[in-house]
Amino acid sequence: MTRNGPIALIFHSLVVLFMLAPLAIVCLVAFTPENTLSLPTRGLSLRWFEAVFRHPDFVQSFWNSLWLALLSATLAVVLAVPAALAITRWEFRGRGFLNALFLSPLIIPHLVLGVAMLRLFALVGATGSFGWLVAAHIVIVTPYVMRLLIAAITGFDRSVEQAAYSLGASEATVFRRVTLPMILPGVTGGWLIAFINSFDELTMSIFITSPSTVTLPVRMYMYATESIDPMMAAVSAIIVGITAVAVLLLDRVYGLDRILVGQH
Amino acid sequence: MSFLELQDITKSYGTLNAVSDVTLSVEKGEFVSLLGPSGCGKTTTLQMIAGFVEPTSGTIRLDGRDITHAKANSRGLGIVFQSYALFPHMTVFDNVCFGLEMQRVPKGERRPRVEEALELVHLAAYAGRYPRELSGGQRQRVALARAIVIRPPVLLLDEPLSNLDAKLREAMQFELRDIQRKVGTTTVMVTHDQAEAFSISDRVVVMESGRITQIDQPYRIYEHPETEFISRFVGKTNLLPGTVQAVNDRAATVSLGGVPVEIDAGALVRGDTVTLCIRPEKLRLTGSGLGRLPGRVAERYFLGSQWLYHIDGPLGTLMAVTPNDGSAPLDTGEPVGLDWTPSVVRVHRGRLAEAPDPTLEAH
Repeated sequence: MTRNGPIALIFHSLVVLFMLAPLAIVCLVAFTPENTLSLPTRGLSLRWFEAVFRHPDFVQSFWNSLWLALLSATLAVVLAVPAALAITRWEFRGRGFLNALFLSPLIIPHLVLGVAMLRLFALVGATGSFGWLVAAHIVIVTPYVMRLLIAAITGFDRSVEQAAYSLGASEATVFRRVTLPMILPGVTGGWLIAFINSFDELTMSIFITSPSTVTLPVRMYMYATESIDPMMAAVSAIIVGITAVAVLLLDRVYGLDRILVGQH
Repeated sequence: MSFLELQDITKSYGTLNAVSDVTLSVEKGEFVSLLGPSGCGKTTTLQMIAGFVEPTSGTIRLDGRDITHAKANSRGLGIVFQSYALFPHMTVFDNVCFGLEMQRVPKGERRPRVEEALELVHLAAYAGRYPRELSGGQRQRVALARAIVIRPPVLLLDEPLSNLDAKLREAMQFELRDIQRKVGTTTVMVTHDQAEAFSISDRVVVMESGRITQIDQPYRIYEHPETEFISRFVGKTNLLPGTVQAVNDRAATVSLGGVPVEIDAGALVRGDTVTLCIRPEKLRLTGSGLGRLPGRVAERYFLGSQWLYHIDGPLGTLMAVTPNDGSAPLDTGEPVGLDWTPSVVRVHRGRLAEAPDPTLEAH
């Protein structure tokens, strides 16, 4: 472990401060009793958290977002694992095309995707369908999963799989007992990033959610266009809290550096 | 009848033949090494025995059964990979147990068999560790235990010692041989290291550009290399191009750039172009003016148990090795005589493409 010099230490502290300060401010504002966003404040209050739970549409949107993120992240992983294995390991016609196709949603603005999806949903008569919303989210989160998986598979020593074959394992067993556990950091990391991206997505979702499928970011956006009060901060604080707990849990159970850096 | 048989095995990639017409029989319990420089096809040959690469033509038979097109996971062979290829997410015990599980060995039998295998490689105390917590040598042993625990008919070793440091490599060589003797498994090892191949094999198969050029016992390959390539690849050697000048019943005289040298006759006739091959340790250094050729010490290298001399003389620079008997070595510039017994000179027909620089042969 190398120690930071004083200048590096100051620089790193400033970067961390710059990244965390807005989050800290939002969380602080959530606990104010005022009717408007204001700091400094007179005291502490939980009234805005209470207000959130008195808005059933917010609670409904929270569950929508949670299910949407769980489903789209999981399905994206199921889709990306075989795709990443094929693209990384085999030479075949259309390999480059397939790779580009999977990554292309990264470079298409979500606004454009939103308009396109809106049109598509209208064409197939799927407006307002939760299933199609999940499909749209799979499109935008798959590139992240692909990137992490390709990174995990690229450094993979194939002879480990050959060793398992030679000991009598079937192809399915080799995948389940050897390949999958060895790329698990990539799988978990990809799932986590996909989950966060889906849970967070606003721009595209504005176009393709219906009143019954409104996600939390869209609900917040709609609310914020009408009134800005500390309830927004309270919702944000809840999201920050949930994310932090999830990440901490993952770190405890698995080790974040293993997932995001890919160490064994 | 031999136990493992390769018959006219060829593997082509497009127009390129990685392996051409390899025919080899290995007896039960034998330790055979495939020796050659990188790219000579030895690893491809091993992979075809293992079932990871399918031969373009030819047959592989194991104990009389044709396994040429059998799947790798139905052959039941034990393989030790150069990278060890341990399962990083499993403990040493689980690594070794994996094969038993795949072979559907009854649960009660697994533990004693894993323990027996770990005992054999002296790792009984490490069963609960993960591969990342082991040293290179220990990982190597786990890989070996994992391969032999399934009691394979044939053990395949792919450059098993090349990732170990020199000292450990030597110790593991003897241990590998010892373990192989104990379990009696027929073994095929691939290596580019001739010392490794020679010290532990019953027979060595020398390969060159996808073909087998010689199969023999290690000392026979060293003493009677069949091609000039082998005499250069295996150990150090002095190669001297010349022309046969005179032949009688017992001896022939070869002119090496005007210097006449007498050798055992063989089937040579006058006018043949030949290359003589003399191992450095077969050259004796005598006092100046004695011996067959005069020379002068150009350079000397201390190898611990031996001295390696480069001797300038009428034939160019020759290498000579003498045991370090404790007496003072010759100084550079000192005049010497070179002597040898005619029977130690090997003769290859034909001339070298270019006369080799002995300093390049020294490595």
